[in-house]
Amino acid sequence: MANYAAPAPAVQAAATLPPATAAPAVEAVALRKDFGPIHAVDGVNMALPPGRIYGLLGPNGSGKTTLIRLLTGLASATSGRARVMGVEMPSRENLARIGYMTQSDGIYPELSVWENLTFFAALYGQTNRADLLKSLELVELDTRTGTPAMQLSGGMRRRLSMACALAHHPAVIFLDEPTVGVDPALRVQFWDHFHRLAADGATLVVSSHVMDEADRCDELLFIRDGHVLATGAPDQLRARAGTDNLETAFLRFATEGATAGSEGAPAERARESER
Amino acid sequence: MNARRVAAVFRRIVAQFRRDPRSLALLYIAPLAIIALLGWVLSSAQSNTAHVAVVDESGLPAGAAVATKLEAALDGKPGIVLDRSVADDSTARQMLKDKTLDLVVVIPADFSLQDRKIELLTLGLNPAGEASAIPQVQQALLTAVADNAGAALPTIVRATVYGSPTATQLDSLAPVVVGFFAYFFVFILTGISFLRERIGGTLERLLATPVSRAEIVLGYSLGFGFFATLQVAVVLAFVLGRLEIPALGPVPAFAIGLGVRTVGNPLIAYLLVLVLGIGAVSLGIFLSTFARTELQVLQFIPIVIVPQGLLGGFFWPIEQLPSLLQPVARILPVTYAIDGLRQVMIAGAGLSSPQVLLDLGVLVGIAAVFMALAAATIRREVA
Repeated sequence: MANYAAPAPAVQAAATLPPATAAPAVEAVALRKDFGPIHAVDGVNMALPPGRIYGLLGPNGSGKTTLIRLLTGLASATSGRARVMGVEMPSRENLARIGYMTQSDGIYPELSVWENLTFFAALYGQTNRADLLKSLELVELDTRTGTPAMQLSGGMRRRLSMACALAHHPAVIFLDEPTVGVDPALRVQFWDHFHRLAADGATLVVSSHVMDEADRCDELLFIRDGHVLATGAPDQLRARAGTDNLETAFLRFATEGATAGSEGAPAERARESER
Repeated sequence: MNARRVAAVFRRIVAQFRRDPRSLALLYIAPLAIIALLGWVLSSAQSNTAHVAVVDESGLPAGAAVATKLEAALDGKPGIVLDRSVADDSTARQMLKDKTLDLVVVIPADFSLQDRKIELLTLGLNPAGEASAIPQVQQALLTAVADNAGAALPTIVRATVYGSPTATQLDSLAPVVVGFFAYFFVFILTGISFLRERIGGTLERLLATPVSRAEIVLGYSLGFGFFATLQVAVVLAFVLGRLEIPALGPVPAFAIGLGVRTVGNPLIAYLLVLVLGIGAVSLGIFLSTFARTELQVLQFIPIVIVPQGLLGGFFWPIEQLPSLLQPVARILPVTYAIDGLRQVMIAGAGLSSPQVLLDLGVLVGIAAVFMALAAATIRREVA
């Protein structure tokens, strides 16, 4: 297997965003996860400043979900370190500040919308009824509180899953393919909501294999075979690859990475932020 | 340990169960149906009558005399119907095959005054079941011999330390059945529910919250313990109580419940079954790690449940098991539950009895071990 590495170092993000020198909300240092002979996550370095939306982009099986599971402490790393809000993961207490929307819906089909939401919220210590109702309004499920989850459509289940992940107002939010099976109109609403959360100071890490969603992120991390190929704002990545298509940019970085050897841009970024 | 989170898990399991009528039926109706069936079979099996014939093949006057005496002794015995029409051994064998006879007493061809041997012949498809008429025949033989000697035989009266010697099989089986059902159904339901958590992605989601493994296991134990408790209450009420319904129009009189006699405190019986059930919850969680589908959970029945049924004292006392199997029986939770329940329900033992305390203590220990094992498997990576 070829050893991909990122090409040129990333440039400073747009001026409207909080400075990259702020303490990173999510951090990985030489993070590695092996499943037998397979390197699912192969030495990832990243330091993500708070208050932005980060897109983890890569094909299926590129290690996005494993990376998120390492960052949330659900999987134990073979080597390397993961920190969220400055706290070493895994940390059960720290999970109260983290929201995680899994790729599968992760809701109980027999339970009603309201029962699912209150159950997960209670585990986070969130029991404020009015506040919980508001989070159902955000995903437009407030008229369906009594409906068993198994009677919901796929898109509604996705929305319920999101409400369950966000009900406790987490500071760092991991969303694993949140828009799969969601219709285009709702997808726009999802992204508007994500931007509102980021504007309120939350840090969002959104994984996707759909490139047309990438433009909605503040910064992208191209992932392939467990490596970070390139990082940067969508426009910067397009400019560096010399194309106006992110998909082409991804492929160009992938082939360049295969031939250019390791220049270790993400590692440099991580070192910078540690100073 | 956070009580609010444990309560959240508990409430969720109760809510899930309320919406699952099939599982509720499995918990509350299936055991009653099985116990009612068992009670019916056991109570009518005792009024069975055996069809018996006596055949003389010896051709000696002494043989004929013995046959006559035997027939006289057997005739009119309760539970025995004597057939005097059977002439020889081959006819008798054919009648056994036709099921018109259950037992034949044969004075064999080699019978002599020196060797007074008598043969008891049955069909042999189910030797143990067919033997049920043998004690009555033996008693008749004794009477015949006593008459011959002209001396009276002492009467034998059966007595027991606990319970009553006339206790039916049902009375001794009832405690066993109560414990075994609680164990079996709780194990199956928890195993499958937790497997669903594992494969349905909700366990992953749970572990992404601040809930701890111990809180999950405790919440599950409380949730399923709650339903197991209700189940035991229903089953105990059915086994111990008896409600006579008088005949009404075309419906004949019948009774609901078995009315099994018990001398012990039902609350202690209850406590034993509850601890057993909590162990079953943790065992279900633990074993669900090794299953990928619901079918694979059911595959644990022959491995986990059936041996406990065979060795736990359900059919044979532990002391009668082969010496190699006795240590195995002594590590099975059902063994201790059955012993404790018998002590309480038949011998009337209370919490002051060292035997009951030992049973309860072992059950608590086993439940604790499996709770720890269950908690250890929860964070096992799913990948």
